[in-house]
Amino acid sequence: MLGLGKLRLFGRDAFRDSTLLVVVAAIWIFFQFTTDGTFLTQRNLVLLALQTSIVSLAAVSAVMLIVTRNFDLSVGSAVALVGVVVAVLTVNLNMNPVLAVVIALGVGVVMGAWQGLWVTRMGVSSFIVTLAGMLYFRGVSMIATSGSTIAPLPDALADMATGFLDPAPSIALIVVSIAALAAFQWLGARRAQQLGLLGNNLAPHLARRMVPFVVGGIAFGWLASRQGIPYLVILVAAAATAAEIVMRRTPFGLQLYAIGGNPEAARLSGIRVNRVIFIDFLIAGLAYGVTGVALTARVGGAVAGSAGLFLELDAISAAIIGGTSLTGGRGRVFGALVGALLMGSLNNGMSLMNVPTFYQETARGVVLLFAVAADQYRRTRKPSARKST
Amino acid sequence: MTPAPLLAARGIVKRFPGVVAVDHLDLTINQGEVMALLGANGAGKSTFIQILAGVHAHGTYEGEILLEGRPFRPTSVAQAQALGVALVAQEVNVVPELSVAENMFLNSEPTRFGFIDVPGRLAEARRILAEFDVGVDAAARMGTLDLATQQLVSIARALSKKARLLILDEPTAALTDNEVQRLFERMRALRARGVTCIFVSHRLAEVFTIADRIVVMRDGRAAGEYPARADTRDDVVRAMLGTTIAAEHRGDAPAARGDAALEVRDLYARDPDQRRRPPVSGVSLSVGKGEILGLFGLLGAGCNELAQAIFGAWPGAVEGRVLVDGCEVKIASPAAAIGYGIGLVAQDRRESLVHEHTIAENIVLACLATVTRRKFLDVPKMRRLATDFMQRLAIRAPGIDTPVGTLSGGNQQKVQVARWLATGARILLLVDPTRGIDVGARHEINQLWKTLSQEGCALLLVSSEAEELVDVCHRVTVLRNGSAVGDLTGADITEERLLRLAAGV
Repeated sequence: MLGLGKLRLFGRDAFRDSTLLVVVAAIWIFFQFTTDGTFLTQRNLVLLALQTSIVSLAAVSAVMLIVTRNFDLSVGSAVALVGVVVAVLTVNLNMNPVLAVVIALGVGVVMGAWQGLWVTRMGVSSFIVTLAGMLYFRGVSMIATSGSTIAPLPDALADMATGFLDPAPSIALIVVSIAALAAFQWLGARRAQQLGLLGNNLAPHLARRMVPFVVGGIAFGWLASRQGIPYLVILVAAAATAAEIVMRRTPFGLQLYAIGGNPEAARLSGIRVNRVIFIDFLIAGLAYGVTGVALTARVGGAVAGSAGLFLELDAISAAIIGGTSLTGGRGRVFGALVGALLMGSLNNGMSLMNVPTFYQETARGVVLLFAVAADQYRRTRKPSARKST
Repeated sequence: MTPAPLLAARGIVKRFPGVVAVDHLDLTINQGEVMALLGANGAGKSTFIQILAGVHAHGTYEGEILLEGRPFRPTSVAQAQALGVALVAQEVNVVPELSVAENMFLNSEPTRFGFIDVPGRLAEARRILAEFDVGVDAAARMGTLDLATQQLVSIARALSKKARLLILDEPTAALTDNEVQRLFERMRALRARGVTCIFVSHRLAEVFTIADRIVVMRDGRAAGEYPARADTRDDVVRAMLGTTIAAEHRGDAPAARGDAALEVRDLYARDPDQRRRPPVSGVSLSVGKGEILGLFGLLGAGCNELAQAIFGAWPGAVEGRVLVDGCEVKIASPAAAIGYGIGLVAQDRRESLVHEHTIAENIVLACLATVTRRKFLDVPKMRRLATDFMQRLAIRAPGIDTPVGTLSGGNQQKVQVARWLATGARILLLVDPTRGIDVGARHEINQLWKTLSQEGCALLLVSSEAEELVDVCHRVTVLRNGSAVGDLTGADITEERLLRLAAGV
C-alpha cells in the first residue's frame, strides 16, 4: 500500500483517520504477542497487503457510490463475471492477455452502465438494481462456465497479480512518489502564499504535512527491501490515489459529496444529479473490471461459483469502518483502505493463531457493529461538545 | 422618474396537474429596487420565482420573460445563474458536510489544469465573505454554522455568481430579530451597489421595513402593486385577502363554554438541533369542553409545532405545563397523549393513515387493546365498531373493507377522526385538516367539527386559512413568531383582524 498517506490531502479528517490507525496499531500489537512475533514480519505484512488488496479495490468504488447514498451489492458477482470473461478469452480462445484485459475492463464498464441506467433512467433504487445484479451476474457466470473452473491462466496474466517489483526499483518508486507528493504540497503551499492564505515561512507548514508521508515511506521501504512491492499493491495505491484526486480535487468529486449530503442543494446548484450518478456507476463498472482481472489473476483462474463471494459486504464494511456515512455526503478513500486493512488484519492474525473460520466471521461481524456504533456515538455527541466550548 | 425595468414577465401561465399555479401573470421588476412579493399560501409566488430561477425549465410554462429587454429562457438553474438570476431558497439549502468555501463554489469550482484550485477557491471565498462582511471562516464546515449565518453565506454565494437579480424566498422565516436586522443591513448595502432584489415574505412588518415596492399576488395573478409606505398598509392587506374582506363571523354563537378540557401554560417547544429560536416560546391557551378554538399564524409562527408539542410528538425539548380536565399531566409521547384522551388529526394524511389497509383496520389502529378477547383480535367487534363510525361520520365508501387509499381526501380525514373517537378521545388537535380537500367536502368536514363540539368534544383547529377559522371557530388565538399575540372571540373573528394580528400590522 504504497503512499497511502499521500491521500491525506486535507487535514480535516486527520483526527478521525488517526484514531482508526491507532485501532489498527492496537490490533497489530495484540497479534504480534499472540502469534509469537510472526505477525509483524516483512513476509506476513506483505502477505497481509496482498490479502487486503482485492477488498481495497472494491472498497474504493464503494466509497464513491455510498457518498451519493447509492449502494452496490453486485460487486462480488460482477467481479466473478469479469473473471469468467478474462478466463474464457485467454484460456479457451487463447487471446492475447493484454487484449483480454482491455475487453474485460470494457465488459465491467458496460455492466456499470447497465445498472446506472436502471437507477437513473427508471428510478429503481440502487439497492434493488444491484441486488438483482448480484443474482444474475453470478447466474450468468455459472451458466457460461457450467459451474466449472477455468484454469490455468497464461503466466503473463498470473504474474500481474502474483509478481513483485524488485526491491531496488520498488524503493526508487517510493522515493519518487514521496518526492512528487512533496513537490505538489510545495506548489500548493506556494500558491496559497501568493493568495495571502499562508505566511512567509512555508517550511514548518510543509514539514508538518510531510512527516506522516515520510514515516509511511520509510515503513514501506523497509517492507519492500526484502522482496519488493507486489504489483497488486501498486495497483491498489494507484487506484486509490486516482480516486482520491477525483473525489477531492475535481468538480465531479465534489458533486458526488453534494448529492449525498443534500440532493436538493445539489439540484439547485445546477448539478445534473442523474448524470453524475450515471458516471459514478460507470466508474463502479471500471472498478468491476479492474477488481475482476486482479482477483482472477491472483487466484490463477475463474471460479464462477465462489470468486468474489461476499466481496460487496466486505467492501461496504471497509468503507463504513473507514468513516463513510451510509446517509451520504461523508467518506474518504483513505479511510476505506484503513478499514479494509483492519478487517484484513483480523483475518490474517486470527488465521495465524489458528482460530477456526466460524469464529473469524463472528469476530468480524462484532467489529463492524462496534466500529459503526462508536462512530455514531462520537458524531451525535460532537455538536453539544462544540457548543459548550 | 421611471426606473428602467430589469426584468419583465408577460402572460406567464404555469399549470400543475389539477391546478393553475400561475395564471397570466404580468410583472415588472425595476433596476436596483427591492421588490416584495406578497400573497397568501398558494398564491403562486413560489412557482413564479422558481420559473425565474430556472427550476421550472423554459417550455414547461407559457408566456415570455425579458431580462434587460432580451428574451430570458433558462432551462436550468445553472443557466439562470449564468444569466445573472440567483435564487436563495426558503429552506437553507447547503451541504452540511462540506466547507463554506466548497459550498459557495458548488458546481462552479475554480480549476487549474482541470483540477480544483483549492487555495484559489479558499482565497476567493474569503474575499467574497469579507466584501459581504460575513465574519465566517471559509474553511469551516457549513454544518457547524447557525442558520442565519448559513443563510448569509447562501446569499453571498448567489452574489458571487455576479447575480444582478437576487431572489430571496422567505429568508427570515427561521431567523431571530437580531439576525433579521443583520440580513436587512446587508440587503441595503446590496441595493446601494445596484443589485436588484425580490423579497418574498409573509411578514408584513418586515416587508415595509426593507422593500421599495410591493406586489401582491392572488390566485396566480398580480392583484395589486403598492409603494411601501405606511399609508398603503391597509390596501396591501386588503389585496392579499381579496374581495372577502367584509366577511363576518359566520360561526354559530359560542357554545355555552364548559370547563377547560385542555389547558396549556407557558409552553416552550425548543428547536431539536438548538440552532434557531424555539418555534413555540411561552404560549398559554385553554380549550373548553364543547369549544372550537382556532389557532392561526403565518408560516413559522409555531402553530403546527404547538399541536405536536401538546401531542408529545415534537422532536425537540418541550417545557411548560399541560392540564387535561384541570389535572396537570406529563405528555412525553403520542401514546401518553392518547391515554389522556387526546387525538391529533394530521395535516398529511399519507403520514397518519395506512393507505393499503382497509377503513376498519385504520379506524381501530389506535384502540387495538379495546377490540380484543383474551389477547386476540375480536374481529366481529372490530367490524361493528368500524361500521358504527362509518355511519356516524357519514364516511362514503363501498364498505368498511375498502382500502383507505382509494377514498377521497375528505373521507380519509373522517377516517382519521373516527380513529380518535374510537379511542374515546375528547380532545382533538386538528392540524390543517382540510388542506387539499375540495370545497364541498370541506364544508362537510367543517360541519363535523361543529357536531363534535356540540357533543362535548374540545377541538383545537390549526389552520393556515383564515376564512375557515372565521367559519368554524368560537374563539381564535393568533400566534406570531412562536408567541400568542391575540385572542378573538365570536363576532370579532374576521379575516382581516386575523391577518393583521398574525402579520403584526
